[in-house]
Amino acid sequence: MEEILNNLYQMTAFSDIIAANGTYIIMYLLAFVLLYLGIVKHFEPLLLVPIAFGVLIANFPGGDMGVLQADETGLIHYNGKDYNVWEMPIHDVAHELGLMNFLYYMLIKTGFLPPVIFMGVGALTDFGPMLRNLKLAIFGAAAQLGIFAVLLCAVGSGQFDLKEAASLGIIGGADGPTAIYTTIKLAPHLLAPIAIAAYSYMALVPVIIPLVVKLLCTKKELMINMKEQDKLFPPSNKIKNEKVIKIIFPIAVTTIVALLVPSAVGLIGMLMFGNLLKEIGSDTSRLFDTISNSVMNTCTVFLGLCVGATMTVDAFLNWTTIGIVVGGFFAFGLSIASGICMVKIWNVFAKKKINPLIGATGLSAVPMASRVCNLISTEYDPKNHVLNYCMSSNVAGVIGSAVAAGVLISFLG
Amino acid sequence: MNPLINEALQLMAIGMVTVFCILLIVIFLGTVLIKLVNKFAPEEVVAKKIAPAANAVQQVDATVKAVIDATIAQITGGKGHATKITKL
Repeated sequence: MEEILNNLYQMTAFSDIIAANGTYIIMYLLAFVLLYLGIVKHFEPLLLVPIAFGVLIANFPGGDMGVLQADETGLIHYNGKDYNVWEMPIHDVAHELGLMNFLYYMLIKTGFLPPVIFMGVGALTDFGPMLRNLKLAIFGAAAQLGIFAVLLCAVGSGQFDLKEAASLGIIGGADGPTAIYTTIKLAPHLLAPIAIAAYSYMALVPVIIPLVVKLLCTKKELMINMKEQDKLFPPSNKIKNEKVIKIIFPIAVTTIVALLVPSAVGLIGMLMFGNLLKEIGSDTSRLFDTISNSVMNTCTVFLGLCVGATMTVDAFLNWTTIGIVVGGFFAFGLSIASGICMVKIWNVFAKKKINPLIGATGLSAVPMASRVCNLISTEYDPKNHVLNYCMSSNVAGVIGSAVAAGVLISFLG
Repeated sequence: MNPLINEALQLMAIGMVTVFCILLIVIFLGTVLIKLVNKFAPEEVVAKKIAPAANAVQQVDATVKAVIDATIAQITGGKGHATKITKL
């Protein structure tokens, strides 16, 4: 009887969980906290819920749902055997290493999902506000400084090599798919903590932006009314036929970026393709509908689950993860601060003053960053709506972070 | 200086210059596009305006309108009335 009970105990996950001295319990708690944030606090629920559930199911010993990270030669040591994942037929990966590894090595490791999600993001992006306020797009470039500043600090800390530091810095781009795409190319073993940090900080945009803005901006600066500035200094180019420009724009941008930074085409090209399908209108409405709904949602489910499943005890509970969480926060904060500082410098020289909130939205996180900045500006002056102006630098930030990712990949990949 | 830091500094300089250049090109491209389109295709094709709601009421069959009025009077106890009727 005792033997039967002992066998039953060994069959369950309890024996391994207890033997691991509570490390699994930490992972379960983390999964529950993420689920709580996603479900109850509504922090990016579309991504945090699949990621959190991926974390949960990946950390049951014997479940074979955790992603096994291969080394650079593709070797995986699992259950006392060595596997070379690059040489294994894909059905063997599913059979020998489990369903989640099959999904991970087929969809994530190949870099397939992030560009497809970017296509959906493009379909949901409106370049109209950026085209109406083109000059403001330059602040989308300034806000990428956080990426490179944190890269420098991370290398200086001695804890990360260049590829790892670049993957950490890209969190400052505040763009989930871009962060994942770059990390897959440069430091796939850090995918889980980087994806979690990127999406968590994006969800915390309503907290982080006001914090940095209050530290750096005066009330007078935040009360700069952009519409009044437009009346004082009217824009030189008024758009007469927005529909045609919106159709030509994605084609032209893709061509130019592809010529100058070919490694960014995976992201920019798909973003602009999605946007083109949207702007063409009724002729491609079926494709637009598919990529912005079914395709994007399907990809989001698998991306979230696979990223969560990479967060196993061995891969997550270490000092590198803590370094990523702290470094990611600084990357985020620095990106916002550098956008604001560039606006301040601009205002010293230009007659037409710009509200520094437009610099703060230079990081991606579309459209939440713009909405948060609009709320801040209306707190100081209820009539001062800066949403449309913020969207210009915000959308430019998506292009900027994708280009920064392209530079990092082409130099380090 | 640590060669890694040196490389990171170079990457920072190249990265920021590239991002600025690309966005400046995007701004320039957008400006040129706006000018060209304003010059060669300034007219936006406007869809035919939908007939005003007032006309729509006239197009509604008198019997149907009477039925709708009676229904509204019944439901609202004579207090409500139809201001416009639009075919979907």
